[in-house]
Amino acid sequence: MASTDAKPPKDGEKKNEEKKNEEKILTPTAEIKVNIAFIERAVSELEPRFTHRVLRSLTALRKRTNDKVLRDAIEENYPADSAVKAKLLSWLPPATEAEMDVDSTAYPPSTPPSKPTSDPVPEVEIYLRLLIIHHFHTSKENYAKSIQLSNETVDKMQALNRRSVDPIAAKIWFAVERSYELGGELADARPLFLAAQRTAALRHDDDTQASLINRLLRSYLHYNLYDQADKLVSKTTFPTSASNPQFARYHYFLGRIKAVQLNYTTAHTNLQAAIRRAPPAKTAPGFYQAVHKLFVVVELLMGDIPDRSIFRHPVLEKALAAYFDIVKVVRTGSLSEFQATLTKHAAQFEADKTYTLIVRLRQNVIKTGIRRLSLSYSRISLRDICLKLHLDSEEDAEYIVGKAIRDGVIDGRIIHEKGWMECEGRKNGYGPDVSEVYMRRIAYCMDLHNQSVKAMRYPQDAHRKELAAAQGARERERELAKEIEEGDLDEDDGGLGGF
Amino acid sequence: MVSRQLQTLYRDLQRAFDARPADLKKCGVLLAQLKIGLIESGLLLPNGEASLNDMVIARDILEIGAFWSIRAKDVPSFDRYFSQLHTFYTDYRSSLPPSKREFPLRGLNLIRLLTQNRIADFHTTLESLPLAADEISLNPYIRHPVNLERWLMEGSYSKVWNAREEAPAEEYKFFVDSLMGTISRNEIASCEEVAYDSLPIKDVATLLFFSSQSELLKYAQERGWQVDLSAGLIRFARKNDEQMEIPKQKLIEANLAYARELEQIV
Repeated sequence: MASTDAKPPKDGEKKNEEKKNEEKILTPTAEIKVNIAFIERAVSELEPRFTHRVLRSLTALRKRTNDKVLRDAIEENYPADSAVKAKLLSWLPPATEAEMDVDSTAYPPSTPPSKPTSDPVPEVEIYLRLLIIHHFHTSKENYAKSIQLSNETVDKMQALNRRSVDPIAAKIWFAVERSYELGGELADARPLFLAAQRTAALRHDDDTQASLINRLLRSYLHYNLYDQADKLVSKTTFPTSASNPQFARYHYFLGRIKAVQLNYTTAHTNLQAAIRRAPPAKTAPGFYQAVHKLFVVVELLMGDIPDRSIFRHPVLEKALAAYFDIVKVVRTGSLSEFQATLTKHAAQFEADKTYTLIVRLRQNVIKTGIRRLSLSYSRISLRDICLKLHLDSEEDAEYIVGKAIRDGVIDGRIIHEKGWMECEGRKNGYGPDVSEVYMRRIAYCMDLHNQSVKAMRYPQDAHRKELAAAQGARERERELAKEIEEGDLDEDDGGLGGF
Repeated sequence: MVSRQLQTLYRDLQRAFDARPADLKKCGVLLAQLKIGLIESGLLLPNGEASLNDMVIARDILEIGAFWSIRAKDVPSFDRYFSQLHTFYTDYRSSLPPSKREFPLRGLNLIRLLTQNRIADFHTTLESLPLAADEISLNPYIRHPVNLERWLMEGSYSKVWNAREEAPAEEYKFFVDSLMGTISRNEIASCEEVAYDSLPIKDVATLLFFSSQSELLKYAQERGWQVDLSAGLIRFARKNDEQMEIPKQKLIEANLAYARELEQIV
């Protein structure tokens, strides 16, 4: 299946413009109508691209719906005596007189009241249900109802068993999760997700599968069940054709799991991928901030210092203030300050679920401290190390320095009899590890290039035209070559003649 | 419903376990019988139908079993008991009254992971504890393994050694001892090999927490250190100078791969 999110920029721009125009002109009801037309086209032409297009406008549309809009949309798109219509309408409160008045003044009859004669395809019903569920999420008293509707919709979807529902189904699952989260216990939805995930995997329903794996991971991580989450990851394969937002989420969850398991390098790669795949900072600031928080911590745990520009980013500046303090402390390598900063921001770290990760930074603080000392002194007594790093005893200092030497943090040795540490200066910057880093970077660039080539979409049969053009070009070239040859000969002849 | 026979066995077990000193052999026999009893009444892995009271009894029996395994120095058995208890501690957390043995056991489990050097599992388990982050430092049973891990990671081995005295429960000492004997000692030894050229035998003994010289000499032999008894020194072989070798094979492979990729692009 073609991924709709990765396409040549030009096409995307055009689409955006198109969408903007649509939004300006259309009322929400009319937009739903247009979307329904798209869904019908998608079903009749077996082209999921149109459905994806409809779903892309979901976030924007969701904010503009209300009871009336939804009711009108249902009224307009279903024939008067439709059973489905009655059922859908039963979820919404009945219209009041006041709303009716508003209708005639605020929205002039933008859509001609051409009553459809038969029910639209079932996909449309699911789509409308999706909109209703999202609408329920906006007010507290509807949470219970949204769970009910979600369950009913899921049953319906599974009974329908149509492949053209799949893209919408993926979004429905997201809505189901949200319903459960808002209305009660997220854990209650887990069996539902697990069962659906199995079915989706069997049917190679990539969209739904990607969505469900993320739902499950989120549910596990919400309850700190890292063990189960890790097992889920190892037992499933995330579909490669999943959309970018799903991939971004998946990478973020993976990053969290790996960070907890002390596998910082993998966590780092995953978080980086999550950042790259995430929507622009302004559209999804919450996700952007969450990923960066974790990213900063993981980078610190790896012994790197995060880029300063991250903390100046307008979206991140405020959210990452506490993390900036931690970075500063780790850089200076002072244990007491580290402890103070940690207690100062403890509440925030705990809310972000990064507290335990940050506590692990303690040893990095010590290591940085020792490294700074080893750079500035060629010989320093263990006692001074102890004082400068606020360690408890000289004995500890000796062990810690010994460990730092073994771990390759510093290059030096301890002279036990005299009680000091001797440093041998810095390692030179060339060696196998440098080339390894270099290789890793090149591999990344290559991969990026190959991925982008794969992600490009080409119009069908376009290559024929190109072939024809190439044929023509070759012909022309041949002619040219011929002419040159002849011309050359002529010239030569002329030259010779002159001679 | 728990049968009468099971009840009496349970009471016997409690008595045998609480007696000072506890009768380990008798406990073992009773536990084996009790486990069969639990399976018969479907309580070993409860499936939601058992009454609360019965589940509390089942949990008690398993908890005693876990403690007993440690006193009998049987770590795999502790592992089994703890995974059976896991259901009671997580899935039935909201319905059962809290057990006062829960956190000691969870702490023991954490230390067990440390002694087996399963640091990743240690952290995963720590994350899934039903405690807020600041409570971890308040709960004595959990604080102990958490501190141990921190000291091990930063290299404050003397603190690990001293922590034996601060163990919150008798059972912890068993693990801390084995922690010291295996992991820390090897860690320290590998640090010393790199950090020092040579060390007096006496100092090596204190650094490695050996009480007698013969133990140390045996250990030194295992690790292949040169012991110079006349000078009273242990010399560590240096081995980092000659290992600077260019990984030719790897470089060639990488370059060929680049060439292939470039060909595809151009």
